[in-house]
Amino acid sequence: MDSKIKLPQIIITAFMAGLFVLAALLGMDIPELISGSFTKFVMNGVLVLAMIPMINAGVGMNFGLPVGIVAGLLGMCMAIQLRMTGIAGFLGAVALSVVPAVILGLIYAKILNMVKGKEDIAAIFIGYSFIPIMNFVWTVAPFTNREMLYPVGAEGLRPKISLENYFGSVLNELFVLKLGKISVPLGLLLAYAAVCLLVYGFFKTKSGSVMLAVGENEKFCQLSGIRIDRVRTTAIVLSTVIGAAGICVYAQTYGFVELYNAPLSHSFPAVSAILIGGCIGRQAKISHAVLGTYLYQTIYLLSAPIANAILIPQMSEIVRMIITNGIILYAFLKQERRRRQ
Amino acid sequence: MGEYVLEVRNLEKYYGQNKVLDKVSLSVRKGEICGLIGANGSGKSTLMNILFGNSIIAGTGGYSGDVVFEGEKVQISTTTEAIGRGIGMIYQEFMLIPEMTVAENIKLTRENTKRIFGRALGSELSYVDRKKDSEDAAAVLEQLGFQIDNSYLVKNISVNAKQFVEIAREVNKQDLKLLLLDEPTAVLNDEDAGKLMKVLKELAKKGTSIIFCSHRLHEICEVCDHVTVLRGGKAVSDYGREELDMRALARDMIGYDVTAVKKERRNQEKKAVLSFRDFSVYMPGEFLDRLNLEVYEGEILGLTSLSGHGKLAAGYGVMGQFPVMGEFLYGGASMDVKNVRKTIEHGIFLLPDDRKNMGLLLEHSVRDNIIFSGFYGRNLFQKKAGGIFSVKDKKEIDRYVKQQIEKLDIKCGNPDQKVKELSGGNQQKVCIARAVLVAPKVLFVMEPTRGVDIGAKEKILDMLVQINREQGATIVVASSELEELKRISDRIAVFCEGRLSQILTPDASDEEFAFAFTGEEGEDGQ
Repeated sequence: MDSKIKLPQIIITAFMAGLFVLAALLGMDIPELISGSFTKFVMNGVLVLAMIPMINAGVGMNFGLPVGIVAGLLGMCMAIQLRMTGIAGFLGAVALSVVPAVILGLIYAKILNMVKGKEDIAAIFIGYSFIPIMNFVWTVAPFTNREMLYPVGAEGLRPKISLENYFGSVLNELFVLKLGKISVPLGLLLAYAAVCLLVYGFFKTKSGSVMLAVGENEKFCQLSGIRIDRVRTTAIVLSTVIGAAGICVYAQTYGFVELYNAPLSHSFPAVSAILIGGCIGRQAKISHAVLGTYLYQTIYLLSAPIANAILIPQMSEIVRMIITNGIILYAFLKQERRRRQ
Repeated sequence: MGEYVLEVRNLEKYYGQNKVLDKVSLSVRKGEICGLIGANGSGKSTLMNILFGNSIIAGTGGYSGDVVFEGEKVQISTTTEAIGRGIGMIYQEFMLIPEMTVAENIKLTRENTKRIFGRALGSELSYVDRKKDSEDAAAVLEQLGFQIDNSYLVKNISVNAKQFVEIAREVNKQDLKLLLLDEPTAVLNDEDAGKLMKVLKELAKKGTSIIFCSHRLHEICEVCDHVTVLRGGKAVSDYGREELDMRALARDMIGYDVTAVKKERRNQEKKAVLSFRDFSVYMPGEFLDRLNLEVYEGEILGLTSLSGHGKLAAGYGVMGQFPVMGEFLYGGASMDVKNVRKTIEHGIFLLPDDRKNMGLLLEHSVRDNIIFSGFYGRNLFQKKAGGIFSVKDKKEIDRYVKQQIEKLDIKCGNPDQKVKELSGGNQQKVCIARAVLVAPKVLFVMEPTRGVDIGAKEKILDMLVQINREQGATIVVASSELEELKRISDRIAVFCEGRLSQILTPDASDEEFAFAFTGEEGEDGQ
């Protein structure tokens, strides 16, 4: 795979630069926007990394990201229940979410291995059908911390649990570097870099490189005596675990744990981001995820106020939808064209 | 003899870089049955597709050369146009709609309609006259001498019957001028094939010209007025009715000027290492039908057939790539073909014919490809780092890869070069090097020399013999290159229509091979 940045990435980068110029012309606070772009970037970055193992094993896009997210939510709820706070609280939440992530990942993998060839669409519906089940679970789960429950009646988890007293913004406020007016959240970026490095390292190991090979040529691997389904399962579980960690990072920045239907809103943006980064189907690299997340999130961050200012209010949501879904469609078209060549 | 209905001049067709038709010329008179024979891949189907305006032709860049139909130069680009001109086609695979009745299938797109609705709504929306359709269908089936209730759904009728329905549909066309048949008798039993022959003769008498593709040579000899033999995209010979000779046809079709190679016979103990018992493989396009065969330890066994006749299926069946029936024994123990890893652990290995899609990791380096199966499948080249983690033994790998590159004369810049940049021959050598590392007890090799230049061919054949002699591996080579098989094999099994037709020694005569290929008994040809 050549790592050259290709035309679509150049166009999107140019578009982003154009937005910055436009924002400046409209008199917006550029340093604040840049600082915001860093936070947004890492906030979503780990969720995008959750795409990589599945794509590389040839299982397709992780449209079932909500499965991993739910595992992360369970982990965070347990951490809140145990009243864990600060960095330790955050790490505790991640650790607690690994167990549900592995269990759910195995089930997810079992289903995807049964629908070989149609993983993308199956994964979307796994996400959609899993959320209502979880909605039920959230209302009856035996959590007792009052801060998590509905204020009235004190039964069932509330849709938005504040992390203020637990581990909200712990990474954001870690080692913040001030460069003039721009603040760079070093701790957050370092944490993200660490996760990237872990994923990168994994693909250098034996089981990581088998995963790449399976993604490239399943038949070949099978004829070499590799247990395809096992490799695919590993990839899916790994994606799910990264997804769980991803939502923990997201939630600590956001300041709230969002339950119920919220997990659904993360999968398409994450898929979009890695596609914008230059991944087209078979092989996804860390660089795709990093570049894609930054471009996607920053464009969204900028286009929202700009669109609101020069077009109509609420335009931002429309722009977001067009970018997110349009890029997925574009990637499918491109994949198809490649396949036919 | 009437005037020419169809003249084809200097037809050329490429699929990508592959020339599949090379200056083919052919002419058919009115009321004449023209036989077209050739192994699969010889260009028969492509020729048919051009004549019938199949969209696959235009979609892959069209063709060059002239097609003259009824004295007019035409470029048929859609099947609708072909049908409009009075050309009909019967395919090898059925083009029938399973959920419709026999009558509906026969009359599809040519339904009788109730006049009154037609006036009111136009013919597309007028009401179908089922009764009249049914009568028409019954009439045409009777004409074919085939009896079936035409209200049955096509999905419920036998394969034989389906073929007749398909034929009936074409025969029912009023203005049928040219009928193309692509292997219509492949699924018919002898009696029904005979019926079909009769129908074809009658059709021809009525003035329909027919192009008849088949590799059942006796049928060709029976009905055709003249026969053109295609091989590798070229029309290699053309025989008139009087000159037809099955033996000559068979030889032209397979195309070997086989020279008898003297090879030292080895005296071997005949100890079966693999046994196939009623082993069927449902491989699309390469069906293998109830194979009973023993493979002896230490031998090189060649499998050959015309393409599509089953030589590849045995190997892929063993490796669990397609659904199988029957039993496969290794060293006397029954094996579960589904468990590929187990099969490989037992020492059975396969090098596939489709190198690009199954045999190589194109995006990976030469080194990765050579060591892949050994490293990941058999855990070779591992060393313990710090006593706990097993890591790649890079030095050992480099040494081995370098040695193999030299030994096999793999032409590559360096071991890090991507395999997709190598030529076909060198890619195949990489595959062989991969198999050598695994040191299999039984090695299946599929079409090892396909798309490989001559120099590399020798090297590859040499290597196979070497693996056999030095590592003591039993080798099963499936190949369409008979000459090469004769040079390296101890025995050659010939398949026809999915069945093992004969096991011959490499020094068997040309005729014996020709007849084995076509599944004909020797006496019939005399």
